[in-house]
Amino acid sequence: MRARVTLVAVAALSVLAAAGCSGDSSPLPGRPSASAPAPTGPAAAVDTSCNPRASLKPTGALPAPGKMPAGTYMAEIFKRGRLVLGTSQDTLLFSSRNPFTGKVEGFDVDMGRQIAQAIFGDPDKIQIKVIGYDKRVSSAVDGSVDIVADTMTANCARWKDVNFSTIYYDAGQKVLVSSASKARSINDLGGKKVCAAKGSTSYDNIAKVPAKPIAVDRPGFGDCLVAFQQNEVDAISTDDTILVGLAAQDPYAKVVGPRFTEEPYGMAMNNDHPEFTRFVNAVLARNRADGTWKATYERWLGDFGAAPQPPVAEYRD
Amino acid sequence: MSTAQLDRSVPVVADPAGGVLHRVARLRRTSPGRLQLILAGLVTLGLLTGLVAGLTAAAAATGTADLGNRAQPLLVEAETIYSALADADTTAAQAFLAGGLEPTELTRRYDDDLDRATTALTSAARRTPETGASADAIRQLSTDVSRYAALVASARANNRQGLPIGAAYLSSASALSRDSLQPQAQALFQAAQAEVDDGYGDARSSWWTALLVLLLVALLAALVLAQRHLSRLTHRTFNVPLLVATAVTLVLAVGVGGVLISQRAHLSEADTEGSWPVALLAETRIAALRERGDEALTLAARSGEGALEADFDETTSRLDKLLTDAAEVMPDGRTGSDVRSAARAHRAYVSAHDEVRKLDNGGNYDGAVALAIGPQTSRTFTGFTDDIDRALESRKDVFRNEIGAAGRGLGLLTVLGPLLALLICGLAVAGLRARLEEYR
Repeated sequence: MRARVTLVAVAALSVLAAAGCSGDSSPLPGRPSASAPAPTGPAAAVDTSCNPRASLKPTGALPAPGKMPAGTYMAEIFKRGRLVLGTSQDTLLFSSRNPFTGKVEGFDVDMGRQIAQAIFGDPDKIQIKVIGYDKRVSSAVDGSVDIVADTMTANCARWKDVNFSTIYYDAGQKVLVSSASKARSINDLGGKKVCAAKGSTSYDNIAKVPAKPIAVDRPGFGDCLVAFQQNEVDAISTDDTILVGLAAQDPYAKVVGPRFTEEPYGMAMNNDHPEFTRFVNAVLARNRADGTWKATYERWLGDFGAAPQPPVAEYRD
Repeated sequence: MSTAQLDRSVPVVADPAGGVLHRVARLRRTSPGRLQLILAGLVTLGLLTGLVAGLTAAAAATGTADLGNRAQPLLVEAETIYSALADADTTAAQAFLAGGLEPTELTRRYDDDLDRATTALTSAARRTPETGASADAIRQLSTDVSRYAALVASARANNRQGLPIGAAYLSSASALSRDSLQPQAQALFQAAQAEVDDGYGDARSSWWTALLVLLLVALLAALVLAQRHLSRLTHRTFNVPLLVATAVTLVLAVGVGGVLISQRAHLSEADTEGSWPVALLAETRIAALRERGDEALTLAARSGEGALEADFDETTSRLDKLLTDAAEVMPDGRTGSDVRSAARAHRAYVSAHDEVRKLDNGGNYDGAVALAIGPQTSRTFTGFTDDIDRALESRKDVFRNEIGAAGRGLGLLTVLGPLLALLICGLAVAGLRARLEEYR
């Protein structure tokens, strides 16, 4: 299976090298549409009211595992004995359930495990909680998870509700079609049904394509692949990284077209605890520098070529 | 005489009803006329009684047979469809939780569930008229069951190849089961329950029975009055044929009463000791499987406690109430001890479930899965459903026996009722003709 993942993935995504991504537009339930992404039309696609890539700057040296400063959220997590990570279980390579072992694993899960390692000195002190794409913002806000690492795009609309870490992966939206399809990008899919997960930015982006494909939602991208295989939809459109994972499971699917969006991935956290965001950024900064990021990339995405330079950390303060 | 005939013929043509009344009024004025009227009245009542006796017995026999051979088995099949589908859903989720290749006993259990569901669907279709809500539910179920089986087959095939998409197929299958299959099965179950209730009404044939009782009383009264009239007219104390006719009428009344009272007694036993407990226990089993399904699907979703756990709690309190009701309905005997044992096993299962939730909420997901699908909890749960199954089977037997007993004698009454009535008419004719001839 590994071999096939490699083959299909390489064929479908030879240009992936620089980035990765995934989408989620999840607004908070009950919140007025003011905080939702701006209105339709390609020009409105990007909310430029902020720099979504810029996060909070780490302060001071990273505390040693088990020695979290008193009164911080990290100390609270340490006292509880585990870090609660919100993610999905059907995004192959990023966070999916390994059918052989039943464990959820992938690039995103490893990001979470590295935070657990930094807090406890033990990456296994982590509880994986599967959340819907449309619950990624609200789960961080209501505190049901400590941190969300779930192919989640950092954007200005979400920055209003949560804090994002610095960018740990760069992705962009593409489209997956049947291997027999003549479509070369999403612009050739006018009037066709294109699937994306409910609450993902990808879903909103489909509606903004001028060719006017019909956006169809499913609970997750795995469900989109089921719909694709059952001929309920003609295509799936989301971040290239997710599509590669889907194409790897279906030899009759291919990923086509240029990226038509930019999706920088960040980990989302409750904005009541800025010290936790700074701590996570410090962990990310260390891991970029000491090669941990590169090793993680190679472990999950190495089949697509050599690891690129990790995304450069940007700070807003 | 000729003028009288002329007088009469004119109004008969002009106004038949008035003519008949006129004629009856004229007949009442003479002794032979009165006898003729009495004879006509007795024969009419006798024939009507015979006809209604036959119809009542036939209606009661058809109603009882329909209840025993169609409505109640349909209810049992609806329950089988429902519980087999719910169990298939739970089993598939548990096999998924286990990780790796599905355990053989779970795949076998899933296959058995699907076989049971399709077999029950086929025979339920035979017992259902082609139009109506039940038929629609059965058609929809047949289509969806094959779609469901196809989705689970895809899930298994993908799982075997280690593709995570298998999990998505399984959740599509589960959504189909919970959103379409199980509600349809529930609708069928409710329709079948309504048919059983109607079936008891049909089997009792209360309107026919009331009419028959009325006619029998009227016939007896008419016979007694006729004899009193004759004894005054002829100064003979007894008219033997009419006396025999009265005796035969009494025999008929006692026969009808005996058969119908016994039928009603058995029907009422079948209802209170059979159908009602069967419905209660069937609902209990469905609720039990729903609990187990909620537990497995909550773990499979891996998102902590959500709507399914709330459904579990709701189902638990409903189940407790059902078990209390069942214990009240069946306080003693084997069934009573089975129900009490089921209630104990249910409490044991719920505390195991609470432990599962505690482990999962405490971050020990693997421990929660191991406990939920491990042998200890599985045994507790199976012991619980086995208790319900045993109680259910014994109540089904009670129903079958009572319905068999209720049908007894009705066939005989269908034939003998009209024959005895004809005999009564013959005797009435014989008894009155002798008197009439005295006027010739």
